[in-house]
Amino acid sequence: MSHVVLSGVCVAYDGVTVVSGLDLDVASGEWLSLIGPNGAGKTSLLRAIARLVPFDGEVRIGEDPSSALGARELARRVAVLHQEPQIPPGMTVSQYVLLGRSPHLGYFGRETGRDRRVVSEVLRRLSLEGLASRPVEHLSGGERQRAAIARALAQQAPVLLIDEPTTSLDVGRQQEVLELIDAIRLEQGLTVIAAMHELTLAGQYSSRLALLVAGRLVAVGPPKEILREPVISQHYGAQVKVIDLNGSGTAVVPVRA
Amino acid sequence: MLGVRARAAPLALAGLPRLPWLWAAGGVVALLASAAVGVLVGPVHISPGTVLQALIGGSVDPGQANILWSLRFPRVVLGAIVGGTLAIAGAAYQGVFRNPLADPYLLGAAAGANLGATFAVTFAPGASLIGVNVVPMAAFVGAGAAVAGAYALGRTVSGLRSTTGLILAGVAIAAFFNSIETYIQQTHPASIRESYSWILGRLVTAGWDGVVLVLPYVVLSAAVIFLHRRLLDALMVGEDEVTSLGISVRRVRLIVVIAATLGTAAVVAIGGTIAFVGIIIPHTIRLLVNRSYRVVIPLSLLFGASFLILADTAARTVVAPAELPIGVITAFVGAPFFIAVLRSTRAAAL
Amino acid sequence: MRKHHPRASAKLACLAALLVALSCGGSSPTASSSPAAHFPVTVTAPDGTSVTVEHQPHRIVSLSATGTEMLFAIGAGAQVVAVDDTSNYPANAPITKLSAFQPNLEAIAGYTPDLVVASDDIGGLVHGMQAINVPILIEPAAKTVDDSYSQIKQLGTVTGHQTEADALVAKMRSQIKAFVALVGHPSRQLKVYHELDNTYYSATSATFIGQMYALLGVSNIADSATGGAPDYPQLSAEFIVSSNPDLIVLADTKCCNQNLTTVASRPGWGVISAVKSGQVVNVDDDIASRWGPRLIDFLQAIAPHVQQLEKQAA
Repeated sequence: MSHVVLSGVCVAYDGVTVVSGLDLDVASGEWLSLIGPNGAGKTSLLRAIARLVPFDGEVRIGEDPSSALGARELARRVAVLHQEPQIPPGMTVSQYVLLGRSPHLGYFGRETGRDRRVVSEVLRRLSLEGLASRPVEHLSGGERQRAAIARALAQQAPVLLIDEPTTSLDVGRQQEVLELIDAIRLEQGLTVIAAMHELTLAGQYSSRLALLVAGRLVAVGPPKEILREPVISQHYGAQVKVIDLNGSGTAVVPVRA
Repeated sequence: MLGVRARAAPLALAGLPRLPWLWAAGGVVALLASAAVGVLVGPVHISPGTVLQALIGGSVDPGQANILWSLRFPRVVLGAIVGGTLAIAGAAYQGVFRNPLADPYLLGAAAGANLGATFAVTFAPGASLIGVNVVPMAAFVGAGAAVAGAYALGRTVSGLRSTTGLILAGVAIAAFFNSIETYIQQTHPASIRESYSWILGRLVTAGWDGVVLVLPYVVLSAAVIFLHRRLLDALMVGEDEVTSLGISVRRVRLIVVIAATLGTAAVVAIGGTIAFVGIIIPHTIRLLVNRSYRVVIPLSLLFGASFLILADTAARTVVAPAELPIGVITAFVGAPFFIAVLRSTRAAAL
Repeated sequence: MRKHHPRASAKLACLAALLVALSCGGSSPTASSSPAAHFPVTVTAPDGTSVTVEHQPHRIVSLSATGTEMLFAIGAGAQVVAVDDTSNYPANAPITKLSAFQPNLEAIAGYTPDLVVASDDIGGLVHGMQAINVPILIEPAAKTVDDSYSQIKQLGTVTGHQTEADALVAKMRSQIKAFVALVGHPSRQLKVYHELDNTYYSATSATFIGQMYALLGVSNIADSATGGAPDYPQLSAEFIVSSNPDLIVLADTKCCNQNLTTVASRPGWGVISAVKSGQVVNVDDDIASRWGPRLIDFLQAIAPHVQQLEKQAA
């Protein structure tokens, strides 16, 4: 029920098409990463799946077209980890994570004990209990990202969309965040669709990669098939070397001619 | 449903915003104390014993009873209603526009009310409709029309995608209404003083009729704003983020603006366009207590009411037996106080 | 508009007849100018500037409602070609859309005036008129009756109606004297509340209109407003009610449609003696706010009430 099917998805801003006629199936429990050069339409595609932009074509979440779902129903099925979350001044971590319960509440509804229990559980899973009363703005970059993940998990949605989860984090925090997401994916069978910049990490964590160029899907497949020197050079216009890491994926390394 | 399974976990979750009972109690005490000051102090000296007698229905000199019951008590109640409503309407506007400088007059409510009142004062002086003076009616209609106009204009400009379009539409409507108002005043100098006095705000003539007139609107407005405390908190994150939490920002904004405008229009109709309350009260509470609307809304109601009762007491006593426009007091006292609060809590950014 | 008093004394009736004669004479313009007019004349305006008028003016523009009333009362009406949009008296004044609040210099110049009369120098009016060599006389709001007399005389001088102006002033002096004699000496201090609009703005005895009450020996409740309070204070309702004035004068009958009924329906006002005894006088807002010859009309509206109240007190 948590597979995502895109058929003929087109996104245009003010008449300029940024995603055109895209078909893609994402299986339940899979981690699919969208890769591609800047402006390829990765973020726009994620926004279309989350219904944050108008689009043509159809997005099915489980059995239902997303257009048939109400806003809250959609948010109960799809959670989004935004690229640069806006940190509300003065808001504590637990209040911030509690916002993730919004899709489960009526318009005038208030959080119940059950919602607080879910949040408490999420905070424990992400080792944020000690920070529960701290304002989010006082956290470090990695901790903030964890708080944002916690909020998305509090939505209890089977599909998680991630937009550039590791921008502005150091390499250690990048690994930490991705490991965390992957662990939870495996625990709970989440379907993860991520827009990724960093090709090596994308290859290491994803079951499949989808390469977008100028709004079109150029290639889909396991990382080994996509991360090949001619493909990267052609579409990114980059000089790279792809190194096999003997079982722990492939490294895509820029080289200077 | 997949996701985190709820197991037995502690119900108490640390770090959730709660209305601090000390501040809530303080707000109630402040309201009662300022109401006491309001009924005890006035241009006519009436002893506290007499005021107490009058309140509990004891026998009081009819002249003093008349002053207390017809003039002073309703004015204190009116001050509380106007102050509380402007403060929570201000907080609500700041919430839905995610703009710390928003106030209840952002979308032209003040300009609309002023124009409506100027129209009525100039062209239908002293007239009444079904027993109610037309000036507050015209002000109420003007305020509502201005905000509705700003919304309609904002929609055609930006499709309500951003608040900027809406705010600019409000600015344009306000400028347009102000120009008409100035034109009417300039061409009808006979009524200029009355319309000007109305614009500066006053709680002078309304009496119990005024209280009865606005009560349904302010109660409805306050109830709707109170029910939005959680959603106003949610709106503190980015607009896309709120949307992906399943909350329609536009719907929340529309409902809250309608509710806040209803209350604002009602109170400016009887109190004039009193400035500053809608900004300083919610901000002071944010800076001193908590930024969550679960705290800001209830405390704004209590402290806004107290503040305006005191401001009005000052308005009718500082140059007694003359009066100062209450808007002069709110700005004169409010601005330095607000700056002092800002300076003493400079760590908290707006 | 004025309240009718069946027990008005013969003395009053006499006086009224006299006044009607006066105001009729005053409001109908005389086409001829005084034979004794000698030009050029130079006068010193109240603000100290000297204004020279070379020839007897025949194209006067008045931007002051009071100035217009004075000009017509001294027989200079036929020399007036245009008056501003507030100059609604006398009815035959050539009212135009000229604004005294936002004076349009070109529009004024369009009347090719040879004298401009105004009450305030707003929007560079004086400078603009000087630039096109049009003499301009600023006759500001009078502070005393004597100011008013000297303005009338000054207008007489610059228009060539010195004699009529002197006669008007003399008449006004004797009328006022008659009113003061009529009300006599009050046995009890009567209190008046003069209302400028329905937000309770009033006028103290420091104002021109306030002095009229002093002339009649009536004390003005607005005089208690001291300290930072201005000459036109906004009084609090509590204070007005507790002052319990014997007489309420409504100078907001036109602007705000106030009358005994609307005043009686204000919360808490029913107990005021003036309201209970019906001593609420409606006066024309314009008459009560100008310092021209019609101040006699104002006194005529007030004096019978004062006299009646005194009789009751005696």
